[in-house]
Amino acid sequence: MTHPDHIVSRVISLAKLPGSKRGCEVAKELRAHLDDVAEEVRSQGYDDEATARIVRIRFGDPQEVAAAFASVYAPERWARRILQSAILFAASTIAVVVVISSVQSIAAVCTAESVLSTFRNIHREVFGIAAIAAGYCSLYAGERLFSTSRVRALLPSVTLGLVLAAVFAWLIPQHAALPLAAFACAASGRLLQRVQIPFVWFAGTALPLLIAWALFGPLLPGWQFPWLVWLGLTVSCKALREIVQLFERVFVERFA
Amino acid sequence: MAFDRELLKGSIALLILKLLSERDMYGYEIIQESMRRSQDAFEFKEGTLYPALHQLHKRGYLRSEWRTGETGKQRKYYGLTAAGRKAARRSEREWLSFTKVVNAILSKANA
Repeated sequence: MTHPDHIVSRVISLAKLPGSKRGCEVAKELRAHLDDVAEEVRSQGYDDEATARIVRIRFGDPQEVAAAFASVYAPERWARRILQSAILFAASTIAVVVVISSVQSIAAVCTAESVLSTFRNIHREVFGIAAIAAGYCSLYAGERLFSTSRVRALLPSVTLGLVLAAVFAWLIPQHAALPLAAFACAASGRLLQRVQIPFVWFAGTALPLLIAWALFGPLLPGWQFPWLVWLGLTVSCKALREIVQLFERVFVERFA
Repeated sequence: MAFDRELLKGSIALLILKLLSERDMYGYEIIQESMRRSQDAFEFKEGTLYPALHQLHKRGYLRSEWRTGETGKQRKYYGLTAAGRKAARRSEREWLSFTKVVNAILSKANA
């Protein structure tokens, strides 16, 4: 790699510019500048090696330049991240609503009950649905924020879990177990989805549910088929995995 | 002469605005012009000019466009917007008042 290209790619990789288009434009601008400097130095009779050295010295530390660019675009980068996170969470919530509603409808049809009657606890399930999306997305956010440490990647999820526990205990003390179990199931499902053993993540969605069941009894009164709760959670985790992969293809890879 | 980095950092926006108030320029040209006018006394790491240009552009003080020169090279030219012209005048006034005050203090200290 020639020196100008090395300098430019280092600045671009460290600057975390929002959007690939902006990254390309900054790279083009810096490359044009470095070409001009190199041409000027060469015209003074320096050989290629000396030219590259002088260009590098005159340009300065790429890390410092990248930090200055990162600071200029920090508000835009954060706004973009917040918007992307909101899109991911909204898409995740919609997916969970579709999955849970479908599972409940199938269960109603199988038991010859009215489909509408299965949604009588919908006000409680809203918390559960939001908790599934939040559990899954918070763990994914942790993976993105702390990609080098698996322990630190758990931090956003654990923090949000504790906050939700406090909020649910205050808002719906009688029914806090279901959304908290759903949160833990989704987070542990995501955690085990990263293990390279097929279907092991099924255990991730089952274990917190079993613990909650053992501690608090049936999480939804009137549910005849507890395994359907697990099925709903597991299919939700599968759907959320697809959404996260789609999100990475659309936002992370294209605009990184 | 090597100036203090913080001093340079604080004055780079003013220099950019002042130079661009005369005509549109691209980054390399701004550096060449500032070196020529300061008789090579004003040296700074060239890479730091670009974040400063982008900052001023984001604030709405600069407009930019890619132009192809006579040699066929594409360069990003910057020019002042109306807000940029105002900012240039304001910054210049501030700088002149500031240096006047500092000089007054220094001249009394040296007397």
